[in-house]
Amino acid sequence: MDEPALIQSAQHGDLDAFNTLVLHYQDMVFNTAVRVLGDDDLAADASQEAFISAFRSLSTFRGGSFKAWLMRTVTNACYDELRRQKRKPTTPLEPETADGEEVDSPKWLADPNLTPAQKAEADELEHAIQHCLDALPTEFRTAVVLADIQGLDYSEVATASKIPLGTVKSRVARARLRLRECLRGFEELLPSAFRLESEEI
Amino acid sequence: MNGFRDLEQLSADLDGQLNPAESARVKSRRQADPELASAYEDLRQAKNILHKLPVRKAPKNFTLTRKMVGLKPPLPRAYPTFRFATAFATLLFVASLAVNNFSKVNLSYSAASAPMLGVGQGGGAPDNFNLPMATEAPAATEAAIAEAQMEPTLSAESAANLTDAERMTETPTTKEAPSESPNQPQPLEEAEPIVPSSWQVVLIALILLGLLALFWMNQFAKRKWRNE
Repeated sequence: MDEPALIQSAQHGDLDAFNTLVLHYQDMVFNTAVRVLGDDDLAADASQEAFISAFRSLSTFRGGSFKAWLMRTVTNACYDELRRQKRKPTTPLEPETADGEEVDSPKWLADPNLTPAQKAEADELEHAIQHCLDALPTEFRTAVVLADIQGLDYSEVATASKIPLGTVKSRVARARLRLRECLRGFEELLPSAFRLESEEI
Repeated sequence: MNGFRDLEQLSADLDGQLNPAESARVKSRRQADPELASAYEDLRQAKNILHKLPVRKAPKNFTLTRKMVGLKPPLPRAYPTFRFATAFATLLFVASLAVNNFSKVNLSYSAASAPMLGVGQGGGAPDNFNLPMATEAPAATEAAIAEAQMEPTLSAESAANLTDAERMTETPTTKEAPSESPNQPQPLEEAEPIVPSSWQVVLIALILLGLLALFWMNQFAKRKWRNE
């Protein structure tokens, strides 16, 4: 994928070129939104909003890391969504089966490769981590999601969050410490994961 | 361990964000200070556990449609020219209407002010003289009719004489009146418009044609875009 060429075409209004970029980055964008918002439906909405906003403001992209620039639009969309949630909290509806019954965990059906036990363990771990992420202040959460989950370097996190490099350093460190503290409370729930980490020490 | 500054350095070192000299210094301090070593492990575990989070796949494709981003179909090159021409023709038409109306108002204003000027210059004298005579004339006729009614036995000849006499007194005033009052207001002639109406018709035709062309170009562009 020739990213600079696609960006240039998209800047001239070529929607197909932009959609190629969308397909390339959509998992990353959705993943970031899910970790910041902690909800699949809200994350999907925020991701869509982020891509629309990115296309409209593509002319403001002046080179550099497109990934970091895109992450900024995602975090902005997530902050907007969080503000909206604060103003008007809603209860998302669970998806229904063909019989009209609620599906307790639609994610259960998503990956056929894992056994139910493995899936349950993975879900537990994921829920525990997400719970601890949700407990972080939004700015710390964003910093740690971008740095540790998306693998952005500090300068990219700074671009994506529009904060100075020093602030990124501080937020990432604080977020990690708080996460570690929070996850200690789940040691009984997540024995295997923590055992592995403890063995490494 | 010197508070949060050390933690920041440890975290940055974990991410490879320190230069080699700083990194070596942090490493030696970590080896000397068990508290720092423990904090470093905490940070490392937190970082590692976040890596254990499964990567979530997008539940759908987030590709955009033209409608989503409000993109409009690319219009033909001639579109702006037609738009400008139509707008210009509309402006000209409105201006022509305004100019013609203004000239009419001006004409009627000057016509209305003309008699007033005549009085001021002494031209109104004959009018003033005519007025009493004009009022007297009907009185004379009434008297003649009354006389004729009072003397029904009078011969037709005398009646004719009477009417002749009456005419003699009456006719000069009524017949001379128009010739003696040259400044009396004349009926207004229809003023010639500054912009001929044929021009206005041409302008209207141009506007309609322009609008039609713009509409057609729009529709054509939309249809072409939909089929792409």
